[in-house]
Amino acid sequence: MDEPAYTVVSDSETTGEEKSSSAFPEIAIGIDIGTSQCSIAIWNGSQVELLKNTRNQKMMRSYVTFKDEVPSGGVSNQLSHEHEILSGAAIFNMKRLIGRVDTDPVVHASKSLPFLVQTLDIGVRPFIAALVNNVWRSTTPEEVLAIFLVELRAMAEMQLKRPIRNVVLTIPVSFSRFQLTRIERACAMAGLHVLRLMPEPTAVALLYAQQQQLIVHENMGSGSEKIALIFNMGAGYSDVALSATAGGVSQIKALAGSAIGGEDLLQNMMRHLLPDFESRFSNHGMNEIKSMGLLRVATQDAIHKLSTQTAVQIDVNLGNGSKVSKLVNREEFEEVNQKIFEKCENLIIQCLHDAKVEIDDITDVILVGGGSYIPKLRNLVKGICKKEELYNVINPLEAAVCGAALEGAVASGISDPFGNLDLLTIQVTPLGIGIRADGNNFVPIIPRNTTMPARKDLVFTTVRDNQIEALVTVYEGEGEKVEENHLLGYFKITGIPPAPKGVPEINVCIDIDASNVLRVLAGVILPGCPHPAIPVMEIRLPTVDDGHGWCAEALHRTYGSTIDLETVQKKI
Amino acid sequence: MRCSSYNGLMIPGTDYRFFSTRTAAAPDPSRRLYTARVPSVSFRIKAQINDAAVKDVTGGLTFYDLLGISESGTLPEIKQAYKQLARKYHPDVSPPDRVQEYTQRFIRVQEAYETLSDPRSRALYDRDMSNGLHLAFSARRRYQNDVEMEGRDEWKNHWHSQLSELKRRSMNKDARGNMSWAARMRRQRDDLSQDL
Repeated sequence: MDEPAYTVVSDSETTGEEKSSSAFPEIAIGIDIGTSQCSIAIWNGSQVELLKNTRNQKMMRSYVTFKDEVPSGGVSNQLSHEHEILSGAAIFNMKRLIGRVDTDPVVHASKSLPFLVQTLDIGVRPFIAALVNNVWRSTTPEEVLAIFLVELRAMAEMQLKRPIRNVVLTIPVSFSRFQLTRIERACAMAGLHVLRLMPEPTAVALLYAQQQQLIVHENMGSGSEKIALIFNMGAGYSDVALSATAGGVSQIKALAGSAIGGEDLLQNMMRHLLPDFESRFSNHGMNEIKSMGLLRVATQDAIHKLSTQTAVQIDVNLGNGSKVSKLVNREEFEEVNQKIFEKCENLIIQCLHDAKVEIDDITDVILVGGGSYIPKLRNLVKGICKKEELYNVINPLEAAVCGAALEGAVASGISDPFGNLDLLTIQVTPLGIGIRADGNNFVPIIPRNTTMPARKDLVFTTVRDNQIEALVTVYEGEGEKVEENHLLGYFKITGIPPAPKGVPEINVCIDIDASNVLRVLAGVILPGCPHPAIPVMEIRLPTVDDGHGWCAEALHRTYGSTIDLETVQKKI
Repeated sequence: MRCSSYNGLMIPGTDYRFFSTRTAAAPDPSRRLYTARVPSVSFRIKAQINDAAVKDVTGGLTFYDLLGISESGTLPEIKQAYKQLARKYHPDVSPPDRVQEYTQRFIRVQEAYETLSDPRSRALYDRDMSNGLHLAFSARRRYQNDVEMEGRDEWKNHWHSQLSELKRRSMNKDARGNMSWAARMRRQRDDLSQDL
C-alpha cells in the first residue's frame, strides 16, 4: 500500500480501447501457488479471467528444473515426459518446504522425493539440491519459488501488455508468520509486491460471496446471512474455513489447517505397495531415483483412478529385477490413509467449534482442491455437515485463484458499475500470538480467530524485586508451552524503575494492521503515575531470521528466569 | 509532580476530546484517588499506546452509537449494521489517505459487534452502561481486569502517596551536609525513580 502505484502510461496512450483500466490504480493479480499446481487470474473489467500459458494451460505444474544452464519452471517448460520431473533435476513441492527447519516432520517426509533434501536435525534450514549433470547443485525453496514466479510474471506481462507488480497470493492456513516472510521474500526476488496474503479457503469464501451476491441481485431477494463451510485439500495442505456471508461481505468466523494433503496420501500408498521404499531410496543413487520416479507416477495414477473406479491394477517394473504388481481397491486406499482422513475430520470439527456454529445452520458446504475428487473425503465432509449434496457451482481447482483475483481488484480500489466488486473479506488470525510468561508458558494476547486488523493488550509484571529488565519473547501458535509454538522474535525492556516484584505494570500490546504487519508495543508504568516509565517500545515482527527455536533456548541459558515476566493475576 | 499534568500526555495532532472526558472526571490527582470511575492506569497506558499510532476518534461513544442502532436493536439489525460499517471502514475498502483512522474505527466497530452479538456479553454491557461504566468496557476480559485494577490501584496509589510523603518529610529533616555519600546516592536514586 505504501508503494507507489504503477501507472501504465504507454498502454493508455497507444491503445484506445484500453479505456478505464489505466485510469485506476494497477489491478493486482491473483496467484494460487499450489504444492503441485499453480494458476494465475485477474479481474478483466467485468469478470475474473484465468490466464493461460503458451500451451493453453490454465493449471501449470509447480516445479523448476535445473537441467540446463538456465533453470526453467512449469510455466514455460515443455515436459517430454512426467518422469523428467522425477529425474532429480527438478525441484517441486517447494510450498511444503519453504520456511521449515530441518527438525520439521514435513521436511523429513520430503526426503523420499527425487531431489535431495538433507537434514542435520538441529533446527537450521535443510540442504536442498537438484541433480544437474550428475552434480547435486544446491538451491533454496525461496529461490525455486522466485524462479517460478518470474516465469508467471513474464507470462502475465506478455498477455496483459503491462508491467505486473502487485499480487494477491493464496497461502495455507497453517503457515507461520515466518513462512509468510519467506513467501514475501520469494515474491520480492521475483519483483512482485505482495498486496495481500490470503488463506486459500478464504479466497474461495470470497468467490462464494460474489456468487451469492449475484443471486440476490437477480432475485431481488433480501440476502439473508449464509453460512458456508469450505474445505480445501491440495497436494500439500488441508484447510477449513467457516464464513458468514451477507451483502457481499464474507466474514470469516474461524480457520483451521494442517500440513496434510495429497502428498501424504501418495506416500502412504507407496509405502503400502513397497514397504521398504524409504530405506531403498535413502542413498539417492541414480537407479534409485529412477525406480522411485516410476513408482511415484504409477501410484499417483492409481490414486486418481480410484476416484472413479473401485479397484485398479498396478504393474510397475522398478528395474534391478524388482517389480510391483498389485490389485488395489478403494477400501485399501482408504484404510492406508485412515489417519489422514481422521485429521481432516478433526480440522472440520475444530473449525465448527471455534466458529460457534451449529451444523444445522450451515447453508452450503464447499469442497475444493485436488482432494475434492476423493469419494471418501466427499462423504466424510457431507457426513459431518449432515448435507446430502455439496455446493457444486464452483470449480474446485480454480476457486482459490478466482477469489484471490477478486481480492486483488477490491484491495486495488477497483469498482464495478454492476456491483460485482461490492465485496469485502473480513479475515481472522489463523494462529494465536502471545508471549512467554509465568515460567515457560505461552500466554496468547491475540487469540486465534481474532478479526484482523486487530489490537489487543495484556498487563504483565516483574517476577523479582528490583527487576530492571524484562525479556519479551513473542510466539505464534496454539501450544500451552512455548516450545510448541513458532518463535517470532524477542526484545528486552530495560530501565524498569526498581520496585518490589509484581508492582511495575508492563503493558504488552500486539497490533496487526491491514496489511497483516505484526507489531508489538511495550510500555512500563508504575502505579500512581500515568506516565510510562520509559518510552514505549515498538517492534516489528518477525525479527528472527530463520524460525530458530534455539535462539529462545540460548536466551534461556544466558538469562535463566532472572528477567522473566508473569501475568498480573486478576480474578473476580 | 508530573503525574498531575494530563496535557503532558498529549501527542501532537491528538484529539483533545479523547482526554477531556477523563480530565473532567479527575481534575486533580488527590481527588482522583477517591473517584470511582477513573479508568485504571493500564487503561490509560493503553490509550497512550493507541495514540502513539493513531488518534482514537470513537472515545466516548457507546457500542450502540458506534453501530448506529438503538439500544433495542435486534440481532439481525446488529449484523446488518456491522457489515455495512465494515464495508465503510475496513482497510481493504477505505480511502487510502484514511486507512489508519478507519482501521482504528473498524477495530472499535468489531469490538462493539462482538459484544452486542453475543446475548450474554450484551446483557453485561447493558448493565454496565446503565451504571455509566461503558467507557471502561473493553472486551469482557479486560473489563474484569479493569474493575479489579481500579480497586487495587486506588489503594496502592493512596498507600504510595502516603509513603512517599513520609519519606520526603524525613529526608527534608536531614540537613544535606549530615548525609553520608551512600545516603545521598540512595536519595538521588529514589528521587530519580520517583521522577521516572
